[in-house]
Amino acid sequence: MKRLHFFILSSLLSLGALAQTSAQSVNDSLLAQNIAKEFELDNFVVTGYQKIDRRKMTGVSTTVKIDDETVGTILNVDQALAGQVPGLSSVSSTGAPGAPLKIRIRGISSINGNQDPLWVLDGIPLDGTEVPTMDDLKDIDNLYQTSIAGINPADIESITVLKDAAATAIYGARAANGVIVITTKKGKAGAPKINFHTKLTLSPNMGLGRLNLLNSDEKVNLELALLRSDYTYHENKGEVARIIAGLGETAAYKAGGWGALSADAQNQINALRNINTDWNDILMRNAFTQDYGVSISGGGNKATYYVSVGYSDQQGNVQGVSANRFNTTMKTTIRINEMLKVGASIFVNQRKQKSFMTDTDGFTNPVYYSRWANSYFQPYNEDGSYRYDQDVHYDQVESGPDFNILEERSNTDRTRKDRQIMAIFDAELQFTDWLKFTTQLGLQTDAYTIDKYAGEHSYAMRKDWENSTITVGTDKKSFLPTTGGKHEVTEAHSSQWTWKGMLEAQRRFGDDHEMQLMLGSEIRHVDANTVYTAAYGYDPRTLTSQSVTYPSEDWVKSFPLHRETQTENAYVSWFATGSYTFKERYTLGGSIRFDGSDVFGVAKKYRYLPLYSVSGLWRIGDEPWMKRVKWIGDMNLRASYGIQGNIDKNTSPYLIGTYKNTSNLIQVEQKIDAATAPNPSLRWEKTRNVNVGMDFSFFKGAITLGVDYYYRKSSDLIGLKMLPLETGFSSTTINWATMQNKGWEFAISTRNFWRKNFHWTTQLNIGINNNKVLRETVRENQTTPSREGYPVGAIFALETAGLNEYGDPLFRNAEGEAVTLKELLKLNEDGLVTISPEEQRKLYKYMGTTDPKVSGGFINTFEYKNWTLGINFTFNFGMKVRVTPSYGNVRYDRGKNSNRDILNRWTTENTSSTLPALMYFANKPAATASDAEKNRYSEFAYYTSYGQAYNELDMWVRNCNYVRLQSLRLGYKFDMPWMKRIGILNATVSIEARNLFVIASNYDNYLDPETMGNPYAQPIPREFIFGLNIGF
Amino acid sequence: MKNIFLLSLVLLLASCDKFLDIQPTGKVIARTGEEYRALLTGAYDEFPNDRSLSTLRTDEMFLDKTDLTPNDYNTYFDIWVWNDATPSETTASFNWMHFYHPIYIASYIIEKEGEIEEASPADVSQLVGEAYMLRAYSYFILVNLYGKPYTKCNPTTDLGVPLMVSADVEAVLERSTVEQVYQQILSDIDMAKQYLNVDKWEDDFKYRFNKISADALLARVCLYMGRWQESLDASKAVIAAYPELEDITTTGYTMPDNYKSKEAIVCLERVMPVAYKSIGYPDKNFITSIVTGDLRKNRYFKAKTSQVYDLLKGGTNDTRSTFRSAEFYLTAAEAAARLGDLNEAIDHMTPIVNNRYLAARRTPTINAMKAMTQDQLIDAILESRRIELCFEGHRWFDLRRTTQQSITKKYGDDETYILEEGDSRYTILIPKEAISANPLLAQ
Repeated sequence: MKRLHFFILSSLLSLGALAQTSAQSVNDSLLAQNIAKEFELDNFVVTGYQKIDRRKMTGVSTTVKIDDETVGTILNVDQALAGQVPGLSSVSSTGAPGAPLKIRIRGISSINGNQDPLWVLDGIPLDGTEVPTMDDLKDIDNLYQTSIAGINPADIESITVLKDAAATAIYGARAANGVIVITTKKGKAGAPKINFHTKLTLSPNMGLGRLNLLNSDEKVNLELALLRSDYTYHENKGEVARIIAGLGETAAYKAGGWGALSADAQNQINALRNINTDWNDILMRNAFTQDYGVSISGGGNKATYYVSVGYSDQQGNVQGVSANRFNTTMKTTIRINEMLKVGASIFVNQRKQKSFMTDTDGFTNPVYYSRWANSYFQPYNEDGSYRYDQDVHYDQVESGPDFNILEERSNTDRTRKDRQIMAIFDAELQFTDWLKFTTQLGLQTDAYTIDKYAGEHSYAMRKDWENSTITVGTDKKSFLPTTGGKHEVTEAHSSQWTWKGMLEAQRRFGDDHEMQLMLGSEIRHVDANTVYTAAYGYDPRTLTSQSVTYPSEDWVKSFPLHRETQTENAYVSWFATGSYTFKERYTLGGSIRFDGSDVFGVAKKYRYLPLYSVSGLWRIGDEPWMKRVKWIGDMNLRASYGIQGNIDKNTSPYLIGTYKNTSNLIQVEQKIDAATAPNPSLRWEKTRNVNVGMDFSFFKGAITLGVDYYYRKSSDLIGLKMLPLETGFSSTTINWATMQNKGWEFAISTRNFWRKNFHWTTQLNIGINNNKVLRETVRENQTTPSREGYPVGAIFALETAGLNEYGDPLFRNAEGEAVTLKELLKLNEDGLVTISPEEQRKLYKYMGTTDPKVSGGFINTFEYKNWTLGINFTFNFGMKVRVTPSYGNVRYDRGKNSNRDILNRWTTENTSSTLPALMYFANKPAATASDAEKNRYSEFAYYTSYGQAYNELDMWVRNCNYVRLQSLRLGYKFDMPWMKRIGILNATVSIEARNLFVIASNYDNYLDPETMGNPYAQPIPREFIFGLNIGF
Repeated sequence: MKNIFLLSLVLLLASCDKFLDIQPTGKVIARTGEEYRALLTGAYDEFPNDRSLSTLRTDEMFLDKTDLTPNDYNTYFDIWVWNDATPSETTASFNWMHFYHPIYIASYIIEKEGEIEEASPADVSQLVGEAYMLRAYSYFILVNLYGKPYTKCNPTTDLGVPLMVSADVEAVLERSTVEQVYQQILSDIDMAKQYLNVDKWEDDFKYRFNKISADALLARVCLYMGRWQESLDASKAVIAAYPELEDITTTGYTMPDNYKSKEAIVCLERVMPVAYKSIGYPDKNFITSIVTGDLRKNRYFKAKTSQVYDLLKGGTNDTRSTFRSAEFYLTAAEAAARLGDLNEAIDHMTPIVNNRYLAARRTPTINAMKAMTQDQLIDAILESRRIELCFEGHRWFDLRRTTQQSITKKYGDDETYILEEGDSRYTILIPKEAISANPLLAQ
């Protein structure tokens, strides 16, 4: 379990001794192989281009080693990194199976561009690793896949995270967000070794109790009360209103209340109170996941091999959602002669995800629906047929096609299949003991098929019919076939090849001078295409479809039968790195890289981006004068500076158009769509990085400490800016800001207790990031304040000052007086703001930032004889969250369920409430109406049509601080003499609980502090994992 | 060995630029005449059918509570009842950016006139002329949707729409006055006249502006401005070029709103596209008010039941009309009548009557006109204009510039909605997405 020390720092320190003995041998790769295998990894940092001797590593990196025992507890590669690396934050995007984690290294450097780190597999950068934005991930249906998801974690030997400019500059522009280098296992000389592992995970269904949703009784009472109030928005929604209207008693009820209702109406309404449908229980389940893998490895003097197969089957917590993965990996290295070594590896995997169509409209997503459906609504009629929901519809509409989520689940289907093949060939030619040439060719092909089927009896199909309804003669009907369903297939293929060649010289001159120099070039070509086809009137039994007769060409665009996309990109790069080490204590390094890419409509001078870095390392601890200080083992000082540039490839100084077909009249012609605004003044985005760090080890490694300070200044940041629509475009990219990230990273590792049978170690890593926008272009039409001087995630809000006599929010103006919204924004009678945008900007108050100021992990490991107990906490402090208002004050839809805040709103009976009242006007008040009514109307018109003010109230901003018990793991290593006799080399079992509890600031009405602000998030799953690992 | 590597590196360097020269499928920066034409085709293609949408606000259309689809209710009901203050969120919006994007493309082409390659001077001139026309026509519709009617306001102080007359994405504009917008329209028409050189387009390209369309737009613009003489002169120029009318009293006529009709001058906008046509029905009171013998009652409408009529105009791919000859007879007649020249007005009405009325009703109709006072004749011409151009997107603008009469709409038995005479809702509010993108518009 010593390998639980994942950090570079701990490894650095434990290696001091070994480094001394291997100092002479690093020049000779043949000899290097003879160094104790176990330490090989720790001794070098694998950057993907080079293996750098740690003693000369001037950049900042962290290596996570995945050994046979821990592999049992991670399901995906990205999960392995969660909470393990200082400065790396990972956020689970959704609870759906196979969903990727969003990983950020040292905060955000770019706003517009990709923010994901670059993933590298055995030296070859992977394509297709971008994690989609959070907004897209709300749909469980969009089962996103990244190419990382295809890698079997059991094949991984280690993961190295490169963080600062010195470490990442060699990767060029793509490394702006950091680099994650995956090194897979390879065979080792010796007898064949067989390893088997399995892992069984149970993720129980989590209740929605924390959301505080209304129960049937509360909802019925609310509907009854609203029906008598002057809040008439969607007045006919809700079962209560339907019962009363159905019996023709609406007017009577409004006049006389409950007592005026007939016994029949009262009985029907009371019956609703006793129905309590638990939608979470109906739509969610306990999920069970299994994972198995076998690997065989071995080899002789000339050749080694590694072969593995893996299978995993994952259930989603949402019923009807599942995923599986099948992997095989083959790797071999062959030493042909003293000079030449070649290697080949092939990674093949197939993934399949199954769900049903949940993206027709927002509410058809089961996660959303479970929050919106009324608990008095039952999904089945008494005769067993589906009952259609009359309250939950898309957007704000009052009715829509028939919808029942259980019908949708059984009559629609969505399957995604991914197939991925990666092949890497490499060769190393050792000319002399100091000069070698290495070359590597990587091929990656990804293909996926998304197969969607909507049956005749499904909302998805009904929606299509509704949207395709036209008047034929005098009838209104859909032009699509009116029987059968719809079958859509999307096929996508992408392939990339990367070739790189590097000439590397490493030489020692005399006793004191070491030089290292590398020159190289890399070319890469990526192409991708997708084909979409659709068939209507589809019969899944006969596999046939019917013809579609379009009334006009325009309809082809809305209901296409065929669509294609095609992209192609090429990249060329040159790079060089070098370092000089004096007396093994002083190292100076530098690297430079030119990245070229195909950019259409961009001046050729922008084709090549230069990036460079310089760095230095001083091993103070090795100074003769430090040797006397016995309690200090190691003491290193590192410093680096680097610059990176980036240009937005989608923005051109010219007006770029896309050819399309159109038929303005009947004739089909080619047209050019010019949908992107040209921007001749766009400049490069530049980021300067400074890093200074120190590593210490005290008391023979009993305490190790690593401290890093970084400063990152990004200027001319490229960002998307909304344009006045009068320009003819809605947005463009501009250089809008200068931003800095300053931060500290601490990694402290202590051996608290170290006896023969009992070890206790503690690791604490803390990242403190301080982000500040130094300059921001504020357009004169912007109504929210500039973030200049504030973090990029700044939250601004309107300060409230209680409620007025109608229960509407009052605001604190600059003079500290409580004023109404109308007074604050000087609304005219139609609710239009009459103060200038500049004046509006001054009304806001800074509340805090959405990014944590302090984050990190706290890991304790106890080892007693063969037992290991690991306790990992992760924490985030100092962030704020803007939550969605519990209900809208002018657009609250009584048909849908909501949280209990609506019950505590201000009413004439509840005037002490701090939650705003509901407000509604069916018509503009007459000219004779009172001023008070007119004023209130103008606020109402503002809230309904123009204003964000309600969402921007300070009451919707909350603190978010939390500590989460991320993992509690107990492992046992079998070490019985009899095992050897039957050939078992090692065996471990473990049980682990993930996300057992969280200690946090108030997150009422939300499931987890992490997902506060999104009432529709899936809960962060609690998982119980059993792992078994046996080696023969 | 090292030399070989260096050599290959040099070769690589040389071939790199080529390797990176990837022409993305379908992407283009317009350079040739053909490409600029495709750019303009794209702008034409995008041009909104908002004149048709405005039909909903007029007294032409009736929504039937018994068969209005939920989707149509959610999308169009609030437009029909002029609920501009608190429309439901799903209500369709009149366009803003889709007028300004063609305006941008038009300005772009105008600015690039000297840089268009591989095209004859005549082709370039026509292209630029069409760009001026497209810009003028876009502003004409914008100012009539979102600005007060020229003759019913103080055009020099009342606000119209922002004037963007250069291809500049960095500009942030305030609203110009109605007068400024109209002056820009007149100036663009004037420029277009100097550039346009195609007299007639083939049927399939009739969506493009031709030479006479500059006079056609001028006639309409001056009519809206109350400049009767200029409107009359321009109308007469259009009539001279396009004198023919469909004779709907015979068989074998083509519906005048069809782009293949001999009346068609420019056919850019759709006449009641299917999506709009299927929302409701023509107002019964309107149809029954048409006198018997006026065959437009039978050719433009068909009784479905005793209460409900179907519209025979619009609704197909072929029904498109922006300018057609009948409009200019009516415009000439109205302008002449307003100038007091009643005989000339009747002269312009005669071809309309001859091609629309039963033979037996023609002379009595003309005679009746001859007996009218100036005001009566103007009313008769406006009524004929209403019938002739019904459902072609003229009614809303005509109501605005003329009587701004009160309109009452009934939905089902119990819901009544009233637009008062001269109601402020005769001017549509600027879409809220435009205001949130540029709060300077909120004034």
